[in-house]
Amino acid sequence: MNMDEEASLESYFDQTIAGSSDYIFEGDLGLQGSTSQLQDSSFLSSLASQEKDLTEDLDLSFLPDELSTQDEPSQVEKESKNEDSGIYTDCPQKESTQADIDTSNSAQNTSQFNLPMTPMTPMTPMTPVAESSGIIPQLQNIVSTVNLACPLDLKSIALQARNAEYNPKRFAAVIMRIREPRTTALIFSSGKMVCTGAKSSEEQSRLAARKYARVVQKLGFPAKFLDFKIQNMVGSCDVCFPIRLEGLVLTHQQFSSYEPELFPGLIYRMVKPRIVLLIFVSGKVVLTGAKERSEIYEAFENIYPILKGFRKQ
Amino acid sequence: MSKNCPECGSSRVVEDDLYSQKQWVCEDCGSVVSEGLLTTTLSEESHSRAVPFFTSTAAFKKPCRNLVSGFSRLRALCRIFRLSSSMEDASANLFERAYNHPNFLHISLSKKQILAGCCMFHICRQNSWPVFMGTIGYLLDADNYQMGTIYQELTKSLNLQTTQVCITRMLESFCYDFKLAPDEVEEVFSVAQQRLVDQTSALLELAADTWILTGRRPFPLFLAAVYVAWQSLNPLARMKYSLMKFCKIAKAPEQLWCKSKDTINKRLNELLEVLCKLGRELPWVRPTDIQMNTVTTLVEDILKHRKALLILAVKHYEKQLEETQTSQYSESELSDSKSSVQTQCKSPPDEEDEGCELPPDHWGKRHLFLPPCVRTQKRQKINEAPLEVTGDEDISDSEIESYIRSEEEIKLFAKARKKICKY
Repeated sequence: MNMDEEASLESYFDQTIAGSSDYIFEGDLGLQGSTSQLQDSSFLSSLASQEKDLTEDLDLSFLPDELSTQDEPSQVEKESKNEDSGIYTDCPQKESTQADIDTSNSAQNTSQFNLPMTPMTPMTPMTPVAESSGIIPQLQNIVSTVNLACPLDLKSIALQARNAEYNPKRFAAVIMRIREPRTTALIFSSGKMVCTGAKSSEEQSRLAARKYARVVQKLGFPAKFLDFKIQNMVGSCDVCFPIRLEGLVLTHQQFSSYEPELFPGLIYRMVKPRIVLLIFVSGKVVLTGAKERSEIYEAFENIYPILKGFRKQ
Repeated sequence: MSKNCPECGSSRVVEDDLYSQKQWVCEDCGSVVSEGLLTTTLSEESHSRAVPFFTSTAAFKKPCRNLVSGFSRLRALCRIFRLSSSMEDASANLFERAYNHPNFLHISLSKKQILAGCCMFHICRQNSWPVFMGTIGYLLDADNYQMGTIYQELTKSLNLQTTQVCITRMLESFCYDFKLAPDEVEEVFSVAQQRLVDQTSALLELAADTWILTGRRPFPLFLAAVYVAWQSLNPLARMKYSLMKFCKIAKAPEQLWCKSKDTINKRLNELLEVLCKLGRELPWVRPTDIQMNTVTTLVEDILKHRKALLILAVKHYEKQLEETQTSQYSESELSDSKSSVQTQCKSPPDEEDEGCELPPDHWGKRHLFLPPCVRTQKRQKINEAPLEVTGDEDISDSEIESYIRSEEEIKLFAKARKKICKY
């Protein structure tokens, strides 16, 4: 190519770059706006109707004064799409931009959202209403412990129970499983028990633990059900856009640890609430270390604006 | 015991130790009232224990033997990686701190060796000295998993601030391993070091922009990028050489490419795919001419104009998506299931490569460049419907009984176990 041709080629490419006012991968955001696939309108409306019931019962007096006055302007902004209530997490005001509204599309990837309207639901606003992100983390695993308060003969339990395995050389506990809810329990000779594998609610874990206690009772031990406590909850969700982990670790150095040689995800240790998040390049986020469901939701609402910041870069 | 001093009669008699011999001394006149035993009895000597090292009052305690050998290993490692003396001293200090930390004092010897490597690794990172954790692990005969656990324990216990790896410097040291100077290989194969580094870093930048680099081990991608860069600098002559051939020509150290051949090939394919997608946007090339095995000839041009090509590629993809969307809507109005299937398969050519693996309304379809882990959908787990339980429900006896063996079963089981245990 001679100089003239090369110059014209350069100018062709320069025009392309100049013409694109956005940085290179903002194109996808534009796409989302034009092909706005609203999720089921029925889903949203059911959500909205449940919202209205809750707002009557909500007691917002625990919020600091400034926040409750700021409720109104943000309400107006969000009312247009999500019709959510003014429940605040620690997420600062300025990070909820117009782009939040577009991302309500992504909530369609989550499974059916059940508001647990059981007696155990506390009246303080812990239920996760679709707020700034529109995505609700799903609980994947709940670990709980309970004290059966009587010494147990593990050999006899392993002999009499169909669903038990006991290998004293490998591990000093009986591993028992039940089908419904699908869980696994570790039963120790001291009478303490760990119940894992319950999905989606604390009540499931409690029911499973009670079933194990019943089995132990039927086997002839005076088992009780003391100090049932949820020790750990694991949740996961998908933000539906790829995340620049290298950028995130640079700006949030004191919380993040990203070693691609060791693990493909970024480990983010959030201080408040004390939750560990595993953030992957595909947009999937795993949250663990919670003792209560609200901690997982709060942690996700905290991280979501940060992650969105890394979408455009 | 409080006596009165026989000399002066005062009652202030206190206990005092003189050379570990107990004495009762009068405070007023200083006379010794009574003394204890200075020597030990036979029974004490035969039944008492020697003073162990860690409670001894020795003023100078010799450093632990393992610590000393750890230091010598650490310094040897530093010399292998040609660290400066200040970095070497910093590593030694860190190692001493870590060694004496309660979390590391009682770990096994092999882990202490790995600890030495991790300390050096941390100092290297702080000074942007390019070292792969895998290389250190190779020298210490430990895998990444072991190195990783100890490294993370180290940063947590000593509250160290981790610094991020500098990709360009890593790349320079990586390229150094390939001996392609004009005096080492034939003219056809040789390439100037700096030229190779520049070309490879441009390719890596491209890989980072198109989501191939994030979340992956850097090494296989580095190797694939160096290979493509080397080929692209003289494509007509070098196209016929495979990756393995290239490693042999450049006398790359064996441990580099022996272990992860599959991953390296995968990364190579991903890189070539991205180059193909961009190559299609070059105005002077016919789209049908772009093949994976010939795109290397165009790499120079693609890299020169990569920014513009990326923008063009994304724009065209968006346009294509919009067109298929509108055609889908008009088709669905006719409510002809057959034609809607056809339009779905007419979707952008990129989708056909994956065999339409992603579900139709997946968010990934809107992106041209995507982390490969999003495209390859694993088998969907069967999501059980969440049980609505209160936790306090009644538990049916029959359900519990189904988990308990009957008498006969117990007998059979016990018999069988006895038989097995015989052998």
